[in-house]
Amino acid sequence: MRLSLTVRGALVGLLALLPIVLLPSGLTVALCGAAWLLVLALDVLLTPAPRRVRITRRAPGQTRLGTSATGRLLLTNTTGRALRIEVRDAWNPSAGLTAQRAQLRLPAQERRAVDQDFTPWRRGVHSSRALVCAVRGPLGLTRRASSLPVPGTFLALHAFASRRHLPSRVRRLREIEGLAAVHQRGAGTEFDSLRDFVDGDDVRSIDWRATARRRSVVVRTWRPERDRHVLIVVDTSRTSASRVGDAPRLDAEMDAALLLTALCAQAGDRVDVLCADRIPHVSVSGASARTVLHDVVAATAPVEPALVETDWEMVAAQIRRRARRGALVVLLTPIEPAAVQQGLLPIAARVAADHPLIVASVSDPALETLAGERGDITAVYRAASAEQDRMERAGAARALERSGAVVVDAEPGSLPQLLADQYLALKAAGRL
Amino acid sequence: MSGATTLARPIAQRPQDPAASRARRSRLLVALLVLAVAAAVGIGVMRGAYREGPFEPSSPTPTGSRAVVEVLQDAGSDVQVRRSTLDAAGALEEGRTVLVTDPSALGSAQLGSLHQAHAAGTGRLVLVRPDFFALRALAPGIAPAGILPDSTELSADGSCGAASLRARMITAGPVDSLAPAATRYRTESGSGVCFDGVVVQGDRITVLGSATLLANETVGERDNAAVALNALGIDRSAPVTWYLPSASDPMAEVRPGLLERLPSWLLPIGLWIVLVSAALLLALSHRLGPVVVEPLPVRVRARELTLGRAALFQRSSARDRAARSLRAATAVRLAGRLGVRREESLDALIAALRGHTDATDAQLRALLGPTPITSDAALMRLASDLTHLEKEIDR
Repeated sequence: MRLSLTVRGALVGLLALLPIVLLPSGLTVALCGAAWLLVLALDVLLTPAPRRVRITRRAPGQTRLGTSATGRLLLTNTTGRALRIEVRDAWNPSAGLTAQRAQLRLPAQERRAVDQDFTPWRRGVHSSRALVCAVRGPLGLTRRASSLPVPGTFLALHAFASRRHLPSRVRRLREIEGLAAVHQRGAGTEFDSLRDFVDGDDVRSIDWRATARRRSVVVRTWRPERDRHVLIVVDTSRTSASRVGDAPRLDAEMDAALLLTALCAQAGDRVDVLCADRIPHVSVSGASARTVLHDVVAATAPVEPALVETDWEMVAAQIRRRARRGALVVLLTPIEPAAVQQGLLPIAARVAADHPLIVASVSDPALETLAGERGDITAVYRAASAEQDRMERAGAARALERSGAVVVDAEPGSLPQLLADQYLALKAAGRL
Repeated sequence: MSGATTLARPIAQRPQDPAASRARRSRLLVALLVLAVAAAVGIGVMRGAYREGPFEPSSPTPTGSRAVVEVLQDAGSDVQVRRSTLDAAGALEEGRTVLVTDPSALGSAQLGSLHQAHAAGTGRLVLVRPDFFALRALAPGIAPAGILPDSTELSADGSCGAASLRARMITAGPVDSLAPAATRYRTESGSGVCFDGVVVQGDRITVLGSATLLANETVGERDNAAVALNALGIDRSAPVTWYLPSASDPMAEVRPGLLERLPSWLLPIGLWIVLVSAALLLALSHRLGPVVVEPLPVRVRARELTLGRAALFQRSSARDRAARSLRAATAVRLAGRLGVRREESLDALIAALRGHTDATDAQLRALLGPTPITSDAALMRLASDLTHLEKEIDR
């Protein structure tokens, strides 16, 4: 419990100016000082302890970034007289609580609520570090404050802006599932049914035996395989920490991972997600198709990039352990020429030998802008530097493609859709 | 064998202790400081200690009076320095010759005390540029009679008599930062006036109207020294007291200060207001609960690296390097558009370009080939030419 002076308590000292002017001496000053302290002490003695205000909390459970959530503090006055109190709910700043402080009057034996609006601007777990309640004295000169144990946390989830692309991709998926011809016969496809031939169907998929029995030409339809395994590995190392536009690369990677997870769940595939840099941080595995998206969103919410280098050998070992042969592996990592040459390339070749591999990377649209600038000599040097970066990136991407991976390198806004499209293309081609 | 011993030898590397090096540095700093102080003290001693000020007897500066004092001492006069009125009055009573360097700085009580001592004893007074009030108290027969703003040469005439102090011609006038002008005086009787009123002799009183007669800078001009020395009684080897009025004199007139004009309640009120202000600051600075600290993730713009490299290019004028990457990027894009394989040579690309652009092969080769770039202007031209070429192929 702490005592403090209010502004009124300080200004009350000005009342002593009159006696000091009338009787100017050190003794008057001392007496006035003593009287002041006496009044303050009296006020403190008459103030009830802040612990006699009972506070409970209704915190929002979780909210998505970009939306608001509401919480509520319920304050009950257990004393026999009205109290004027100030409360401060000290959340971390990025929780986006609009008003941390509230002043209110609590009548005796009554309860009041303080509404709280949270608009978080950072992913992850937000918590109230302290809830401080201060009770003013009856004269309003002093206050007694103490910190009350009322914990509160909520989880700010990824914004998942790409979810608006989900319906169109699911429609594509249904088209593929009901598609007359899958352009590859044999392994990896599953016989579904027969239907009439329409223009554009692959002639190789005509079922001659069935056609012979009927008057019209009949084709076999194949359904993409279900219950395949997809492992999404999100790189959370230093390369993901760099900011592209307004958000770090990791946010765009997460966005892509979430869209792919949702799409895979719709397609009936089993999705595991692993966030790793030097060590595996977060992993979601074995979740059912209904809950997987929620599990992944909740598990990856607190993940932030760390300023370390990814241990690709460790990642390869994790992939070997978690994914069966033939499972789709999606690596979400920026294509940084240095990092690719040093670690990723040999690992990608090894993984691609056993699995279909997609490497998805967030590119920086600023590079293209820089490369197009002419203006003055500084702009030309910048353009040269940007061109060199782009060529090195393209070289690294080509090297990855040569080692068997499918590379999706796109701007933050379009990476999720392109990754989803790539997955659908693999699905349509029967490579899953 | 020797290899084994080399390996086995422990690596005797003294650890770099940062604390030790810091201590060494601070010791060096202390030594330097001591040296500087010693040098300053040494210079001060060698320069000789003297007191700076107008007519200071020990001061060798242009406005001091060391020249006159040394001559007096060499002639056997006993010269003492006094800075308070009581001492000066005592010396006057003892019969010494008292030189008052600044009579106008004296208050009426000081002047009265000097006058009493002068009347009671046998001492002589020498006044340097006294003002009206000082003269009224000390020598009622003498009064100021105007000033000489310019340096003037004055000669003694027949009417001077003893007042000429055995000098023929003096220089009177202003002395820089000491006196803005010389002052002329007259007596009621008209006698005892010499050098146009700059020197006046009265009853055991000599009035010197010009600072030039005493200051080191000008005392050597004409017969100035004779006037000064004779006025101070060098011929009699009279004991001389050099009286420099000072502000620290207990008899110096004290005017009521600002503090004494203030009302008596101001101090307690001020004290109280300080107290209340401190309390108010305390109240205003109150913070409810702790400061919340939140570690935020590091975010660096991805293009920083690109911009940094561009700055490096520019600072080291790496034009060829910049040109190479610009050309390569354009060549790769053109090759992609024209269906030339990336691995093929420049000739293949130029051959493919031939039908699409007006430029000749030589021009294209100069543009896309490794032609050296010598100036910033050439680099800019290259960049715009490459853009132009790409646009041309786009059409």
